[in-house]
Amino acid sequence: MLEGVRSPLVYTPRSVNEFATIIARHPHAVIWAGGTYLMSRPQYYPSEANDGIIDLAAMEELKRITRNDRYVEIGAMVTAGQLLSAGRLLLPSLLQQTLRTMGTQIVRRQITVGGSLCIEGERLSLATALAILPATAEIKRFDGNKVTTHWVAISKLYDKEGVLTIADQPFLLTRIRIGLEFGDFQRFLLFGDAVRNPLECGIVAFHAKREQNGLSKAQFSVAFPRKAFHISRDLESKLSGVALPIHPERVNTLSYELVAELTKMHHAISDLQLERVRRIFESFLHDLNSQSLS
Amino acid sequence: MKIDCIIDGKALSLSVNSNKPLSLILMEDLENKSLTSHCGGRACGNCVVLLNDEAILSCMVPAFRIRGMKIRTFESYQRSRQYRDIERAYKASGNTPCRSCYNARTLIIESILQDLSSENKVRGRDEESVHQHIIQELSLNTCQCIDLAELVQIVEIALTYRNRRRRVRRS
Repeated sequence: MLEGVRSPLVYTPRSVNEFATIIARHPHAVIWAGGTYLMSRPQYYPSEANDGIIDLAAMEELKRITRNDRYVEIGAMVTAGQLLSAGRLLLPSLLQQTLRTMGTQIVRRQITVGGSLCIEGERLSLATALAILPATAEIKRFDGNKVTTHWVAISKLYDKEGVLTIADQPFLLTRIRIGLEFGDFQRFLLFGDAVRNPLECGIVAFHAKREQNGLSKAQFSVAFPRKAFHISRDLESKLSGVALPIHPERVNTLSYELVAELTKMHHAISDLQLERVRRIFESFLHDLNSQSLS
Repeated sequence: MKIDCIIDGKALSLSVNSNKPLSLILMEDLENKSLTSHCGGRACGNCVVLLNDEAILSCMVPAFRIRGMKIRTFESYQRSRQYRDIERAYKASGNTPCRSCYNARTLIIESILQDLSSENKVRGRDEESVHQHIIQELSLNTCQCIDLAELVQIVEIALTYRNRRRRVRRS
């Protein structure tokens, strides 16, 4: 052991009730899901976790995947690898594409759904994709001995920089619920390497519902880890109800409007990232056009 | 913190910091020579070990998560039959990874073989998606010593050896 560095105490609750008791006593304890993000921090070791670590690995209720006619529920401790292998028939293709980009199978064994959604200031693939799907998260908030439960839309969990908006008091994300009514056009694209070079990376997700000759609903989200998390409501309203195919000039205009919107709201995004997102967005719309014509 | 686990077939009781990464435990406390560097969780892919027979990055596993687990590093893996398949594939292809990534790359290939040699998993997957899967898994290790196409070839040869050995054992 390193001299002078105290080994942090590790608590292993087996249920939410046990977790509530521990978090009431140790409100600043580090909550440990998969640990991939925590262990990749430069100051991770040696360091002192003064209030201990709460390891969620023994909480079986957070490891379940259930499905009914209307939605799929996924426990927070389900790993990306488990979800990808179990969810081939139950998950929307957008989410499957997303899970495949989350590192290799070796890394996916360690990434958990809850951990991926709750890392502090960095929004990665899963949050970006779930933000445009009909997905909500069950959040349990702990205020002393009082526990309150809320279902919050994933898109509402983060601010425009991608920072968690609910982290003002101890909380636990226990499961997510994904509605099974989603559009027939789903695209996901990640450019760059989100783990090794997050500052130059970008994550784009697009989801649209087609009806007869037009789009009845379109949703678009883009994330730049550590920089920005953007859901374009303005663009969504412009695209919803539009007739297909969209004229190429209109596609071009929309893509530049997206860039203008991103530049106005987020200052840290580089020109290269903006241009790549613009072109990806354009390619999604061209793809949508070609599908509508075939 | 006292942690009981089995490393390379030896039952050990370790006294380490509870949050110490497994890669550092192996390198510093056990002086395991099969791990050469600690990237601090930056996913360089050089610290792959088998945890309960599944490949993982040991820099992303804290000490408190290895309690009661069975860990195999390259030191014990190289004495196994499975390793022979990969070793023969290296020889057959005429390409071998460099010394610094050899151990990790071999364990990554083992992980791919475990995944692909299970017939149920391969069934229903087209050749292209299997190829993509191999490329994605191999990209975990960032060492540039060997061409990706050559590595894919090694995996394919090793897979042939592995499946042949299984068929022989079954018959």
